[in-house]
Order: sequence, then C-alpha cells, then structure tokens
Amino acid sequence: MKDTNFQSPDLSVEEFAVENGPYYAREFARIQGKTGFAWSWNTMAAVCGPLWGAARGAWGFFWMFLVLELFALVQIGRGLWGELGADQLARYERLLGNIAKREAQAADLTAAGDAAGAAAKLKIADNLRAAADKALEAANAASSTALAILLTGLALMAVIKLAEGFYANTAYEAQYLRWRSGQKAQSGMSRNGLIFGAIGLLAIWPLTLVRFTVAKPDEAMASVTGGLLGGRLPITEFPVGKEYFAALSKKGDAGFDWLANNFGDVFDGVTAGIRWVLDGLEVLLIQTPWPVVMFVTVVMALRLAGPRVAIFTAASLAYLAFMGLWELAMITVALIGAGAFLCVAIGIPLGIWFGKSKRAYAIAEPVLDFMQTMPAFVYLIPIIAFFGTGKPPGVLATLVFAMPPVIRLTALGMRGVPEATKEAAIAFGCSRRQLLFNVELPLALPSIMTGINQTILMSLSMVVIASLIGAEGLGALILEALQYAAKGQGLLGGLAILFCAMVIDRIAQGAYRKKTGES
Amino acid sequence: MTDNVITLDGVWKIFGNNADAAMAAIRERGLGKAEVLEEFNCVVGIADVSFEVKRGEIFCVMGLSGSGKSTMVRHLNRLIEPTAGNISVMGRDMLTLSDADLREMRAMNIGMVFQHMALLPHRTVRDNVGFPLQVRGEPKSTRWEVSQRCLDKVNLTGFEDRFPRELSGGMQQRVGLARALASDPDVLLMDEPFSALDPLIRRQLQDQFMKLSAELNKTTVFITHDLDEAIRIGNRIAIMKDGRIVQIGTPEEIVTQPADDYVRDFVEGISKLKLVFAHSIMVPISEYQPTRPVNFDESPRAHHGTDLDQLIDIATSTENVIVITGDDGADIGVVDRATLLKGIQGGKA
Repeated sequence: MKDTNFQSPDLSVEEFAVENGPYYAREFARIQGKTGFAWSWNTMAAVCGPLWGAARGAWGFFWMFLVLELFALVQIGRGLWGELGADQLARYERLLGNIAKREAQAADLTAAGDAAGAAAKLKIADNLRAAADKALEAANAASSTALAILLTGLALMAVIKLAEGFYANTAYEAQYLRWRSGQKAQSGMSRNGLIFGAIGLLAIWPLTLVRFTVAKPDEAMASVTGGLLGGRLPITEFPVGKEYFAALSKKGDAGFDWLANNFGDVFDGVTAGIRWVLDGLEVLLIQTPWPVVMFVTVVMALRLAGPRVAIFTAASLAYLAFMGLWELAMITVALIGAGAFLCVAIGIPLGIWFGKSKRAYAIAEPVLDFMQTMPAFVYLIPIIAFFGTGKPPGVLATLVFAMPPVIRLTALGMRGVPEATKEAAIAFGCSRRQLLFNVELPLALPSIMTGINQTILMSLSMVVIASLIGAEGLGALILEALQYAAKGQGLLGGLAILFCAMVIDRIAQGAYRKKTGES
Repeated sequence: MTDNVITLDGVWKIFGNNADAAMAAIRERGLGKAEVLEEFNCVVGIADVSFEVKRGEIFCVMGLSGSGKSTMVRHLNRLIEPTAGNISVMGRDMLTLSDADLREMRAMNIGMVFQHMALLPHRTVRDNVGFPLQVRGEPKSTRWEVSQRCLDKVNLTGFEDRFPRELSGGMQQRVGLARALASDPDVLLMDEPFSALDPLIRRQLQDQFMKLSAELNKTTVFITHDLDEAIRIGNRIAIMKDGRIVQIGTPEEIVTQPADDYVRDFVEGISKLKLVFAHSIMVPISEYQPTRPVNFDESPRAHHGTDLDQLIDIATSTENVIVITGDDGADIGVVDRATLLKGIQGGKA
C-alpha cells in the first residue's frame, strides 16, 4: 500500500479546505476509504449549523438546515411563548358575546310577553354555552401541551444538530470533488458567504418565527418596530390590492378595442379565407351523398392502410350513421380538416425556415411554447374580440393550439438531415432549391409526417373548446351535454369524436408507412 | 499553358468571426496557430498551402486527424471559402466563379467521394448514382444509362434497384465512387474514401480504384490518414501537419528523404522494398571501390528503376555484384550485398 500517488489528493484537500486543512485531509481520507456512509463528525458544522455551510460555500447544506432548524425553532418558540389556545380562546370570547346577545334578546321578548320566543332564544344560548365550554376546554388543553411541544422542538433540534455534524463532511467532500474537477465550487472559507448567510438567517428566521408562534403577528411586529413592519407593511399578506391589476386590464381592453376597430378589414379577410376553405370541405363532405363519402373512405382505408383498418373504419362510420351523428361528424371533420390543412400550409414553410435559421428559431421558440401552453380559454377572448363567433374563429383557435407540433417537427427534421449528405449534394452542384426538394425534405419527411399526425389529433382535442365560441359539430353536442349534465349524450358524443380521430389517424399512418415501405 | 489541372497558391483558411483580422495579423506579425487562437479566438484550418496537380496524376494528401487535409480538399470545389490565396481548377479561377458557374463546375467537372458515403437513403442505388446528372437536368433515360455504366465499372451490376441501407459498407462506398464518376468529371476528389472500411475491404477497394483510375486517367486528389494507402495509390504525396504541407514528393522521395522528424516518424514503419529503387542506393560506377576483385562482365544487369524487392531476387541468384544500367543501357552504378542490405535497412550507408 505504499502508493505515492495517494499523497497528492491529501495535499489538494488542504489546498481546498485552506482553514483546518489537516483535519479535512484526515476526514476525507476516511470518507474515501469507505464504500458506504462514513461516520465523520464535524463539531464546527454542528454548532454553527447553516452558517458553517454559508462560510464554506456549501449552499445546499445551508438552505437545507436553515429550513430544518427553523422548523425546530418554531416548535421551541410555540412551546415557550406561543399562545397555544389563542384561537380557541378567541372563539370562547366570541361565543360569550353571542350568548349575552341571545340572553338580552330573550329578556326583551319576555318583557314583550312572548314567552315561547324567549324560551327559544334561551335554548340557543344554552347550546352556545356548551360550545363555549368546549372551546375553553380545548384552549386549556392546548396550553397544557406547551411543554410537550417545547420538548419535541428541543429533541428535533438535537437530531438536526447531529445530522449537521455527521452530514457536513460528506457534503463537503462532494464539493471538494467538484472543485477538483474544475467545476465552480468554493474552496476555503469566505467572509462574504458568511455575511450573506447571516443576512439570510436574519431575514428569514425572525419573521417566520413571529408568524408561527404569535397569535396576532402583525400587531406584535407593529409594537416592536414602531408601526413600520406589521402596521404599514403587514407581514401576513402582501400590502397591495387589485389596483394595478385593474388599471392594466383596463388598458388591455382599450388596446384590443383599438385593434378591433382599426384592423377590422384584416380580421374580416382572415375570416373570409378560413370560411372559404371550410365551405369547400363542408360541401365535399356533407353535400356529397353519404353512401359516396362512406364508400370512398372505406376504400381509401383499405388501399392505404390494409383490411384491418378498413373494417375498423366501416364500423366507426356505421356507429356515426346509426347514432344519427353523421352530419355533425362531417361538420366536425370539415372543421378539423380546415384547421389541419391551414396548419400544414402555414406550418411546414415556417418549419423549414426555422430549421434553416437558428436565429429565427430562437425567436420563434418562446412563441411556440406560448401557443402550446397558454390555456385555450385565454386566447378565445381576443379571438372573439377580433373575429366574432362561429366556425372560422373556432378554426383559428384550433390553429393556435395545433400548429406548433408541425412547425417544431418540421424544423427538427430539417435540422436532423446529416450535414455530410447535404455537403455531398452541394458538391454535386445542387442549387438551394434542388437541395431542399431532393435532399432535405425527403430526409425530413418522417419527422414532418409525425408533425402532421400530431396536428390532426390536437385539432380534434380542440373541437369541444371551439364549440364554446359557436363552432358547431360534435363539440357542440358535448358542450350541450355538459350544460345539462346529460351523461349518456356526452359519452356517445365523446365516442364519436374518438372514432373520427382514430379513423383519420390510422389512415394517415397507414398511408405514410406504405410510402416509406415499412410495414 | 502548363499541364497543371489543379493549382493552389498560398491558400489560407482561418475559422472564426475575426478571420480577416487574424489573417492580417498573421501576415504582418507572423503569429502562430496558438497565438491566433488566443488573440482572435480563431482556428487556423490550413496555412499557406501551395501545390500543383498534373493531368492524370493521383495526388495523395496524408495527415492525421486535425491536420487540415479534409478542409483543404473542400477548397478545391469551394465547399469552403478560403480566407486568402488563389485556387484554380482546369485553368479557371475558382474564387471568381459566379454561383451558377460554380454549380456547373461541381456538376460537370469535379466529382467527390466522401468518407461516410453520404448517399441519399430514400433513393435507389441507380437514382443515387444518377443524382449528379439529375442536378444537371439530364433526362431519366440518360441518367439510367450512365448510372448503369458506372455501376458496371465498380462491379455493382444487379444492385441498381436496391436501397443504400441494403448494401454493405464497401458496396456503399462503391456506389459513392460510381456517383462521382457518373458526371464523367475531369477531377476526382476523394476524402478518406476507404477509411471507414475494414482492412480487407479497404485493400480490395484500393486495388479496384487503382485499376479504374489507370483506365480512366482522372486527375485525382486523394485524402488519407494512412501512409501505406498513400504510398500504394499516390503518384505524389503531400504530408500535412497543423494545416501546413510539410513535404511533397513521390513515395520514394518521402520514404528515402523525409523532410523532418515528423515525416521520418511516419516513414519508419513503412516497408521500403517496393519504394526504393536501384538508383537511390547504388554506388556510381566511377566511385565503386570493390572489397575483392570483381568482373563486371559476368555481373547481372538491372535497370536503375528496379526496386529493392527485385534486386534481392537478383542478388540471391548470383555471387557477383549487380551492375545498374541507365535508360540508354550504359552501366552507371553498382549494387553489392552491403549496399543492398543497408538500403533495405532504410537509406544509403
């Protein structure tokens, strides 16, 4: 075991620890010599607690034990000076007041000659007295538990101190390893860290202690700080009401009104465009005789996705037809179709652009996140303000929610095209357009198809929400079921939406698999 | 007009945002690679590279990874723009070409083979090979005819309708080679084409490539990190280190007269038997001092271009010294056993 290399870690431990170097070198050697947890005691850490962590730059240690010690301190504080029965006592006083009031009323009624009324009031007063006695009892019981709580707090504190003492060196050794491998980790003691830690303690402990151990913390604080803290600045709630919120939301209203008034033509144009697509699809799906639509759909499923999907498709269509939901379903599919078509038509070019330009993507990414995470109800409001109600605004709401996946996955696919392949194509004289259509888009296709699929499914999930702003179809059926708590109607409508989604999804996936030659 | 197909003159490539400033500083103050990195946060890719490649020549560029050889070869078809210097290919200044002209050069005159094949996975072998022609706007019939011919050349007849993923690595690289040949380019750029293959397949492909290249007589720039490969394939070899060319010469020159220790280290493990020729080890006949009486008339004759391997064969069949003859048949030098053994050992006594 005469390994000379073994010396160098020791030396670097001393360099790391600075103060008390030899002690830490010894302890770390012990820790490193054990496979499991090494019992290594650090008195300094146990005595100073979080402040030791602050001085040594072990901030995880600092915060963890700051909270734990605070918890123990709160118990100790409650045991020592906490008015433990205070809330029950307050209740008792309140009940006494009520009893006095009833008795006064009873006396009045007796004076007025209404003996029955007086008896009733006295009966209530008696009931209240029983409750008051119970509250008083609870208050006394609570204050008698003070000693138990104090002892619990002290025991807790002792356990925490032990944990600090035994955990400190293990944590510090981990920090040493980070320091050794050149990551950001403090070495030695730092006065600034200690000062910051002390300020943190002072900011957190006293206020929290007061809040949890004193019955009326604001009044207690006000009496100590001469009315500043607790008086003008309450510590139990933030001293601001709704005034800023109201002012800003009024400004927001004005802004939306201004936009709606000044850009009405633009919004009308958008609405008209969407309506055009939508009308086309509706004519196709609804005006065409139902046997034709059904036949074409089943044959398409058979050709593109095989017999199993075709059987499933036929069954789903039969369900829609026999439930009398055929027309509603076609309206819904037209709605989704228009949404998905616009998503793809706008989303794929955007995705290509974002895939090629890192800067554009960096700007667009937060917008896409916003579109996907913002609850739909939030953007329904401006959509109604600008576009009114009906189907086109419903399609727009769908666009907001369903477009991000196709943009993202197109961009992802574009960026996933191997540089080497693009380079080879350029080396053979490809222009940018040839590169895009011969190399990048074909190689990104799997990703793009996944994006389109996602978009279709997400459009479906928006049907119910879109019906909130007047888009008809199966969504409206479910909305109605929700309003009248019509469970059966809701279930049947939900199944209809599910079948629409699955048919579209299975046919699309089957078609894609067929194209790429997978099976 | 010289017979040089490719000419590079003082080409520099500096990567980074301050490349031009760094270039100026290098010109004025002669900064080194490390200083450029520190001062301008720029990386010197290739530094002051100049060479010519003659028509029909196979010019090997050999260097370890990071030596700039792949960067250098990408300058020849301007996949990478140089920071400074001149590049001309087939008498045209590559740097002043318009985008359209450059694309045309790439599609018509310069074929390239890549280390990782870079085939298009969604196209059949036939359509991969025909891709350069498609880019040029050739009709399908021409494309198919040409790709069939090129696939025949690389012995891939019968695989036209397969997809690249169905082929082994060696076969894929042959498709890559066929693709580079499809546009019948004058210049072939090969960027470590055989490096990713296992040794046996590599050797097969090297042989096939040499046969093909003798047949087609294309001007080739061949990048490799393997000196054995460079020596097997190259008419001339350039050795690169840290973006600079350390030495240019025929395989024999590189092996017998390494320019510095760096090259010497490489050359050490190389077998010299087929690289060193009689004229570089022989003692001129006028200076020859025999240790015992010899009779030149009974000695076997060998041309001065005979390699050591063949000289050994001759030496083992005779007791006499070997007389070396010049191109005109006159006796010009002598190789005796001692000279031969020294030569095998590596270099002249």
